[in-house]
Amino acid sequence: MRDVYAIGIGITSFTRLEFPLSEIAAYPVMMALKDAGIKEIDHLYVANMGGARVNHQTGLASAVVDTLSLTPAGAEVIENGPASGASAIKQGFLAVASGMHDVVAVTGAERMREVNSIEATEFVATLTHPLAEYIYGVTLPSLAGMFTRAYMEKYGVTSRHLAMVAVKNQNNALLNEFAHIHQAITVEGILDSPEALTNNPFIADPLRFFDCCPVSDGGASVILATREVAEKTGRPLVRLAGIGQATDTHCVHEREEPTDLLAVRRAAAQSFKMAGVGPLDVGVAELHDAFTILEIVESEEVGFFKKGEGHLALERGETQIGGKIPINPSGGLKGRGHPVGATGVAQAYEIVLQLRGEAGKRQVADPKIGFTCNFGGFGNNVVCLTFAREN
Amino acid sequence: MKREIYAYRCRKCGHLHYPYRMVCAGCGDNEHNEFDPEPLPRAGTLLTFTKLYALPGDFEVPTLGLGIVELENGIRITGQLHIDDPSSGMKVIGEVEIVRSEEYEEYYGMVFCEA
Repeated sequence: MRDVYAIGIGITSFTRLEFPLSEIAAYPVMMALKDAGIKEIDHLYVANMGGARVNHQTGLASAVVDTLSLTPAGAEVIENGPASGASAIKQGFLAVASGMHDVVAVTGAERMREVNSIEATEFVATLTHPLAEYIYGVTLPSLAGMFTRAYMEKYGVTSRHLAMVAVKNQNNALLNEFAHIHQAITVEGILDSPEALTNNPFIADPLRFFDCCPVSDGGASVILATREVAEKTGRPLVRLAGIGQATDTHCVHEREEPTDLLAVRRAAAQSFKMAGVGPLDVGVAELHDAFTILEIVESEEVGFFKKGEGHLALERGETQIGGKIPINPSGGLKGRGHPVGATGVAQAYEIVLQLRGEAGKRQVADPKIGFTCNFGGFGNNVVCLTFAREN
Repeated sequence: MKREIYAYRCRKCGHLHYPYRMVCAGCGDNEHNEFDPEPLPRAGTLLTFTKLYALPGDFEVPTLGLGIVELENGIRITGQLHIDDPSSGMKVIGEVEIVRSEEYEEYYGMVFCEA
């Protein structure tokens, strides 16, 4: 296999965007090509989950490659639920590593706010098992609520810990001009104040409003290429060093230990093994905090902390931007937003930015290894990426 | 007619599945869908639960109780809860009822009450 480098990155604002889905997907490719200083690619991978259902658009990749005037480059859509982004990066990696292509663009995009929040929740709920979960009214927040209760009862995680994740990530998002949520919050304000029940109502008890990511529109892109092409850009070399992916049972109730996220554990271990590093070598990480509990549990499952101790590390401030292992300096899904198909690529965008030392006010001190965890379904399809800075 | 929800037992190794899958998760050997349906028992223990306030479109109720129950044969199932004040470890008993109504279709599933 050939080594593969991330040579260009681009992103849109994550917010409500009044543009067609194809333009939300195309814009960050323009930015990423400009960033890399190139104009041509061999192939385009588009990560998207809801174009057909939410935006009534199929064959999205053909629209994107054309509006960018990149034809006749090959183009296709990768759909893997909320892990579509990292899955598309994986496909791009395979194309370059195998020698089939030298330069590929990967873009992730979603336009979920074209519909109201009930329809958006319903669209994401189609990830659940049609007969054993969906028919009951099970949504992703309800699976997260049941998971959170089991975790709290077993490991002593409290609503206060969950609120600490929300506060940390929304504070980080204040430093990210592309983030969806620019709102400073405090644990006291969303949990203890007399207004807490109205400003932070329950969504899926014990999860409250500020425990859930927003519904966002947005796009992000990464250009992948060979070392030869990467060296010509004259930019810091960031190698995509490891990729891991694992699946788990479709129904959450079938998992032997209801508080384990085995697909996260397995995907992370594979990704680290391929990169030849361990979790404690990681200097900056983007984890999939669609719900606050997930950041805590993923930080344990990927190996940053022992099982059941992630909330204690959070209390000690170890996951802050200045901490031992900064998690979600971009604001994460909670603060940056979660346009489902774009998220995995947006995570990679942040890690490349951080490894290059270009993250401005939210820059982590000199990270050499960066890591992303992109979580599909309720943990039934997880893709983890490890990036390494080489010079 | 008494409605049932079925689990599926592999004829080769005896592994019991809910929901149905095409190849046995126990032996991985059953290539021919050779499973015997077995009605799920009704009694079980509530493992975890939530009260959902943000409901999908088809539900015209203010909140919805949902939980994961371990039935007395060890099979776990996700179901709706008709329990005012649920707690983990509570003994529950299920009934097969309409759990979702769409315009032209009704879906039956397990609804649990306190035992």
